[in-house]
Amino acid sequence: MGFSKPQQGIVTVNGLDSWTNTSTIQEKLGYLPGEVALPENLTGKQFIQMMMDLRKVKDDTLCKKLVDFFELDAAGKVKRMSLGTKRKLAIVTAFMHDPDVLVLDEPTSGLDPIMQQRFIDFVKEEKKRGKTILLSSHIFTEVDATCDEISIIKDGYLISSFNKQEQLKMTEKVFNLTVQNDKHYTQLVQKFESNAAFHVLFKNDQTNDLQIGCYPSDLSKLIQLLIDFPISSFSEVPFSLEKHFMEFYDRRVGGDYRGND
Amino acid sequence: MINGTIFKQTLHANVKLWLMFTIVLTILQVVMIAVFDASTLTDVSHLVEGTALAGMLGKTTLLGMLASTFYSIHGVIFPIIFIIMTANSLIASQVDRGSMVYLLSTPTKRSTIIVTQAFYLIVALVIMFFMETIAGLVTIQVFQSDTDIVVADFVMLNVGLLLLMFAISGISFFFSSYCNLTKNSLAFGAGIQIAFFLCQLLSSVDESLNVLNYLTINALFDTTAILDGEHYWWKLIILFGIGLVLYIASLEVFKRKDLPL
Repeated sequence: MGFSKPQQGIVTVNGLDSWTNTSTIQEKLGYLPGEVALPENLTGKQFIQMMMDLRKVKDDTLCKKLVDFFELDAAGKVKRMSLGTKRKLAIVTAFMHDPDVLVLDEPTSGLDPIMQQRFIDFVKEEKKRGKTILLSSHIFTEVDATCDEISIIKDGYLISSFNKQEQLKMTEKVFNLTVQNDKHYTQLVQKFESNAAFHVLFKNDQTNDLQIGCYPSDLSKLIQLLIDFPISSFSEVPFSLEKHFMEFYDRRVGGDYRGND
Repeated sequence: MINGTIFKQTLHANVKLWLMFTIVLTILQVVMIAVFDASTLTDVSHLVEGTALAGMLGKTTLLGMLASTFYSIHGVIFPIIFIIMTANSLIASQVDRGSMVYLLSTPTKRSTIIVTQAFYLIVALVIMFFMETIAGLVTIQVFQSDTDIVVADFVMLNVGLLLLMFAISGISFFFSSYCNLTKNSLAFGAGIQIAFFLCQLLSSVDESLNVLNYLTINALFDTTAILDGEHYWWKLIILFGIGLVLYIASLEVFKRKDLPL
């Protein structure tokens, strides 16, 4: 955004240095600040008009569409608006000039659940139209639903950066299964424990419950093995971004994460 | 360089404060001229002869009286308060609150913002003193038509005061641009001016405190020199220079600094 000068290196947007070409970049960039601090002495409509003038947007059809889509009531004074309404106002002004690059800082905080969902759908739609979207958030469902490339930052250092699809292929899949009787249960446990492809993560001898970890490449082996056993339930524990994230944050050893990536 | 949309918004946000101070200042000027009676003042000055107050009362002509009262106390402190409040709200408070982000997320250059805000402050002061001068001239015609008054000196007093305020507003505006927090901007942008004002006030009380006169730029607005027709131009030019340098410094500082937005 060109608010701060980088201590080292340069930041570029569409090939332009963000510190020296700030105003040119802004023509094609939409920014949604994490904290909504709107000029308080205006009404919502006046604020939208002001932003249109500053962006030199003449055509207000897109703007009207956005206002309708997010059910924004912009008539009142900004000072009197709820956080959700202010957030909607900020969203409308960030998208009003149909920017190519979007920087969204915790975009759904303050929105009600229906609007959050609507916003996520909207971002997906924009993504389909080929826009570059940079989203920062603490809400995993939001990140999970919208992002392709995910990076985790801790204490100012990038500690993990991955592509969601690739991560899915690489992580161990976890299955819960219940065996119908004790005899088969013990046999199955033995089979799993003797095979290096599978990991018994959890077992409950009373209820005959098992939790098995296995990589996607060994998935067919797992199914073949299970064919011979009477299984009463079988389910996958879905990949959770939250769990992945917590793995990094739970390592309480403070320190240097540079070089991890 | 000046953005009409931002100027409109600034005007919208600050015009009430300006109007209040202009009215107060004008009424003060009108009242002080209207109630002037040369004979009572002569009596008073005989009374206080030899006391500390004698120095403050100065000469007993209308302009002499105004020079030692309005042009060194009321006419100085009221615009100073206006400047402190306005200068802070023009830049520092918007950065502190975060509403500056919306201006900068449009293709608006930082320099445009600063120049527009500075333009508002200067224009506000010019019009304020213009109205005050006109009101003063009208009052002189109505109430003091039989008193012998050099109109040119009266106008010069106002021009001098305006230049003093230009320099002082430069200080406030500079700190408003330099500081990211309202509290710092106010501490420097108000503290220095108040200190200058007090120095000048004290130095006029007693000869022994005359040294304080060298510590304040208020002394560059030398009312005695203006009334006595001495060389005062260089002092006013210095005031103008101080203001100009500080406004340019504000622009350069704001263009280069990191904004915590």
